[in-house]
Amino acid sequence: MGLWELVDQVLIMFYKISGHPVFDYFLGTFLVALLAVVIGEFTISMVFLVNKNHLDRLNTRLADLQQLSLAALKLGDKKSYDACNKEANDAFGRAFFNMFGLSAAALWPAFFALAWMQQRFAGIGFPIPFTGLAVNYVFTFLICYILARMFFSRVKNRLPYFRGIHRMLMAYEENSSKS
Amino acid sequence: MKKGIINKIALATLLLMLAVLALGASGVGAQQAQVVGSDLGLKGKLGEAIAKAPVGTGKGQIDPDAPRGAFGIPGAPEINYLVAILWAIWVGWIFSTVGAFGGVMAGVGHMTVYGLGDWVKPFKNTAPQLNKLLTDSIRTSNQWLVGLSALLSTINYLKAKRLAWPLGLALGLGSIVGAVAIPALTGGKVSFSQYQGWFGLFVFVVGVVLLYETTPRGQASKKAAKEAARAFEQSIKEKKDEAAQGIIVTEWSLTNIKFSFFGVEFKFNPIWAFMGGVVIAAISAFIGVGGGFLYVPFLTSIVGLPMFVVAGTSAMAVLVSMMTSITTYITVAGAALDWGMIGVELIGVFIGSMIGPRTQKYIPDIWLKRLFVVLAFYVGLGYFSKGFFGKAWVPM
Repeated sequence: MGLWELVDQVLIMFYKISGHPVFDYFLGTFLVALLAVVIGEFTISMVFLVNKNHLDRLNTRLADLQQLSLAALKLGDKKSYDACNKEANDAFGRAFFNMFGLSAAALWPAFFALAWMQQRFAGIGFPIPFTGLAVNYVFTFLICYILARMFFSRVKNRLPYFRGIHRMLMAYEENSSKS
Repeated sequence: MKKGIINKIALATLLLMLAVLALGASGVGAQQAQVVGSDLGLKGKLGEAIAKAPVGTGKGQIDPDAPRGAFGIPGAPEINYLVAILWAIWVGWIFSTVGAFGGVMAGVGHMTVYGLGDWVKPFKNTAPQLNKLLTDSIRTSNQWLVGLSALLSTINYLKAKRLAWPLGLALGLGSIVGAVAIPALTGGKVSFSQYQGWFGLFVFVVGVVLLYETTPRGQASKKAAKEAARAFEQSIKEKKDEAAQGIIVTEWSLTNIKFSFFGVEFKFNPIWAFMGGVVIAAISAFIGVGGGFLYVPFLTSIVGLPMFVVAGTSAMAVLVSMMTSITTYITVAGAALDWGMIGVELIGVFIGSMIGPRTQKYIPDIWLKRLFVVLAFYVGLGYFSKGFFGKAWVPM
């Protein structure tokens, strides 16, 4: 049995809990989305643990250049202002794409979940009442994914491994928003 | 006599049989190529285009019995996950070290490394609708990667109150116009060859800009900026800014908006910002890239804003234009997506962006840029010639 078949057999079990097809579809999709959130959060925690120093350096550099350019503006020093701006351009580029690395770490499982759902539920439409329109599995997954993210963000500070990571992320975000 | 008649009848019969066979054979040739005739379980416009494609195992044909590859199409290149991850690691590494050109590298991966370009191209003559649809799918796949990075950045800048919303509004409205117009006007109409040619030209131009940055003149201006910034840094004492926080709009008009940010006043012309948004989003949507490469210089050089207002605002503009053009490509043009392929790419990108900072100290910035210049010229020239002239001028 291939890996994909094994994953398929495990995930489809989430859709057989109550025996009621509609309820099972939404419960199953929520559980698949929750699994994607948990795996993504675990991956992002790995990135933070490995690359925290680098991210800190980038943010500190950006913060310093911001303070400098604003100070130059206040002093009316156009030349220094332009210089700081140019320097910040490179620092910003790196910070932006590092952010991409982080978003990739958090979101990759969601795309595998969508690929699996495409195979299982591609032809099914979910009518929106009173509109005559229908949505597909992507829309239902997105709704469940957002709900799963909200749910996980509320419970993660009570879970053993994620509790520590949550504290670290909070401290990091606090520093980032100060910068 | 009798024998002669029999011989003649036999000869005539044989000739008649030959004639019938010849006619039959030419009839076979004259028949329309057999088409798939079914959507093979693929939904929307992709299914319609597949149904019209010719059946067969050759180039530009669909073999319904072949294993399903990219976009779930039978016979399409099966994405080799190992190759895909390795390429995405390279993309992530370039992202995090050079700090730009994400969409460009993602595009090269989709077209060349994953083998989609060579497979899509022959459909130009046999199934033009499929050729154009898959071109849109490649454009959209490139944009997904950059759109995701913009999403997370925008959320963070919003939290940090670093989004200049009046500017974001003007730019965002313009980018929506550009990002709706281009997919709506060109979706389903651009052949893969045309797209490849334009993409090549864009990459070539990017290479020229980068080459300038690596020349002594470009380096000198950068060095001067670095020194000036350092000198200024030493000349003032660091102190916390206690002025008003966040963005406060102080004056509104059609041609002039003034706002203060951390106590410093800025102004810009919203019409310029709107027009810039239209043009940049249109170029980005056509080529299938993010556009951060264009937004940032536009806002710092033409609109004249500081990097710290520009950073969050351009991330927001990229996000708005990406989401708009992706949605338009999917809904109006019917572009298909391969979720698994994007998932694999994301894994590679995050691995690459973890490796990048660790290797950065061993490779000077200028050599990274030179490496990218060589790549940009090679890929740009190759795609340009292959797309517009049908033959690559460099081996590829």
